[in-house]
Amino acid sequence: MAEETKKELTAEEIWTTEEGERRSVGVIHIVITALLIGIGFVVGAFGSISFPLGFGVNFFWTGIVVQQVGAIWFGGWGVIAGAIFPFFSNAIAGTPFYVSLAYIPANAVQAFLPAWVFRRFKLDPRLKTGKDYLYLFLTMIVSSILGALWSVLVVLKGFGLLTTDSVPLFIWGWFGGNVVAGVVFNFILLKALSAVVIRTTAFVKKWWA
Amino acid sequence: MNKTLLGYVPNESPIYAVHPFVKLYFLLVVSLFPMFVSAPDWNIILMVVIILLMWISKVNMSTLKIYIPVAISMGTIIFLSYTVLGGTHPEFELLARIWGINFYWERIRDALVVYFRVLPMIFTMVFFLSTSRERDIIVAMRSIKVPFVVTYIFAMALRSAGMVLEDFGIVRQAEKARGFDPAGKSIAYKIRQYVMYMVPLFALSLRRSEEFTNALVARGYAFTGKVSRVKRADYILTHYSYKYFDYIFIALITIAFIALLVYRYGYGYFQVDQSWLLRLLRSWVS
Amino acid sequence: MHVSKIIEVQDYTWKYINTSVPALAEINLTIEEGSFVGVIGPNGAGKTTLAFSIDGLVPGQYNGVKKGSVKVFGKEVEDYDKGELQQLVGVVFSDPEAQFTAMTVEDELVFGMENIGLSLAEIKERLEWVTELTELSNLLMKPPYEISGGQKQRVALAAVLAMRPKILILDEPTSMLDPVSRGRIFKVLAKLKEEENNTIIVIEHSLENLVPLADQMILMSESKLVLHDKTQPFFQQSKMLLEKGAFPPGAMLFFHLLHERGLYQGEYPLTVAGGAELLRDLMGK
Repeated sequence: MAEETKKELTAEEIWTTEEGERRSVGVIHIVITALLIGIGFVVGAFGSISFPLGFGVNFFWTGIVVQQVGAIWFGGWGVIAGAIFPFFSNAIAGTPFYVSLAYIPANAVQAFLPAWVFRRFKLDPRLKTGKDYLYLFLTMIVSSILGALWSVLVVLKGFGLLTTDSVPLFIWGWFGGNVVAGVVFNFILLKALSAVVIRTTAFVKKWWA
Repeated sequence: MNKTLLGYVPNESPIYAVHPFVKLYFLLVVSLFPMFVSAPDWNIILMVVIILLMWISKVNMSTLKIYIPVAISMGTIIFLSYTVLGGTHPEFELLARIWGINFYWERIRDALVVYFRVLPMIFTMVFFLSTSRERDIIVAMRSIKVPFVVTYIFAMALRSAGMVLEDFGIVRQAEKARGFDPAGKSIAYKIRQYVMYMVPLFALSLRRSEEFTNALVARGYAFTGKVSRVKRADYILTHYSYKYFDYIFIALITIAFIALLVYRYGYGYFQVDQSWLLRLLRSWVS
Repeated sequence: MHVSKIIEVQDYTWKYINTSVPALAEINLTIEEGSFVGVIGPNGAGKTTLAFSIDGLVPGQYNGVKKGSVKVFGKEVEDYDKGELQQLVGVVFSDPEAQFTAMTVEDELVFGMENIGLSLAEIKERLEWVTELTELSNLLMKPPYEISGGQKQRVALAAVLAMRPKILILDEPTSMLDPVSRGRIFKVLAKLKEEENNTIIVIEHSLENLVPLADQMILMSESKLVLHDKTQPFFQQSKMLLEKGAFPPGAMLFFHLLHERGLYQGEYPLTVAGGAELLRDLMGK
């Protein structure tokens, strides 16, 4: 049957619902959120323990990949998971409870921004064109800058943990730790798995379904 | 001793008689104490109290050594931040100048204040993690009426973290069987190694999402629709009840916190200049 | 005695999205209440999709094209509200590990019961019943993923049984188990058959344990339901079963080979014990 043959989706089609297509929030999204928190917990803790700069700031933070790729694929669920899992991975790496808690907005922004850019500009998560790569890279930079500013200026300074003179070191640490790990993993993961993920029921076209 | 995903907990411990909510309350409230205390003396006392509680709770102290590098690295970072990166301050008392770096008394004092604020906060976290089984954390959350879906996501996240660790072991074995051994290799090689792990780890987890979902749906779980509005009985909570000593502990923690605030803001206690430890150090370095 | 048809599948075809061949094609099937049905067939024949279709996981959790009808208790599966059908139909999957989402065996067992809104007293009563039936009482406080393979599968089975579904479907429940653990699972199923009035559908490759319990058997092959009959006449067609890649148990196969060589003309025995007895009679003649 003609309508049943598999066809290659365009970037536009990936993010838009077909006429009459019904998408709803399901148990799978709850499961995906939990799984992302679980993966992030492990890979985030790995980064926090292996390359520490202090207070949950790392030179090479692998958790960024779960935040950003997860949110690109699974929208709001990925953002929720991306905001929450660092709280747990930092906790077992010895970051104080309230410091971890105060990082949540920074982590949420880092997860949200790439997800928003991909949906807003209808970019292809399979990274088919130079534009997809460029926008992803720029988003990684911007989101990491925002995350670094919040976490260092608001949290670490706010808690009185740093001197003004050491702020740049921590901003660079947070920013560099995210961008380097993001460059290594985000592109590879999106390239390798997006083609499969966009055809699953778990994939989120809008924000929640 | 049992291994949980969050650390090691004792097999038997008097703290298991305490309601999990009390432990959560301790974490949430006692973590705040150091924020209102500048004098390191009081924060050191708090740390000693927490260590005593760990000892009473039969926490295996040798498992806590994983936190020693964290404490050392944090101390080093704070010290560097306040000395090497502390800037030039003619108004401060210069203790020494080594390789062009100024070591001011005020900076060293501040570094100590900050460090001894962070340490007890970490201690409370470690105490919680090393005395709480996964189920205790879920019970604590449910007992403060955290919605079921949230506690369930938390439980499932812990479970999936365990699965990721298992998968990680399997993928690593598979990579090794194909001659990929990172031992003694360069950083670039190791990063390549993690790239090779990350893709299959994600792929396995995504496949699991389908199986998990089927298992949940097959057991009647829905978070929308008529079934989701069914009033849930919480069977696990029936194993836990508040005893008289739970109320005493809650009251003690609350009173201690209120007293701390009253003494801090009412009578100006816990300030840096009241610290005998800093005075001792001051006389020692001058 | 009035026997009601609780599963009615009519001209049912299901094709998963992005696939070229239907997973199930033109299936017609009726199952009466209280039956014990065995389903066999090679991998990829559509057995699991059939199980999922009866439990509403297909089309509920999967995208695809459906034709025909699948009715459970006279009602089309899509017409049930979310979670409602699953109170009537319970599924045990082949990989027990993939079904566990809780921290202890006890949490795992009560999860389904809490979902369907049972009271604490009822949960406690059912928990006692199901742990005794599946011999899990001493494992309640253990994490479900740290127990043996056989115990895991009994936990998965118990978790579903505790919800007391009218229809119980087991999708290759013993595929990952050793012979002893397999035996224990079928011991539970035998008890259920004897003491409860459940309708039980078991998808299984290993037939030694299944055949003595099954009232009827279904053969699936290449997305189609090829044969559905009472157990004895079903296995009389061993030639067809072998052609379709389904292997009857050893005792049956032995008598089938005798039959092929013109040495035996009667009914094939369903068990090794039955075969031994039959052989003794034949030798005595």
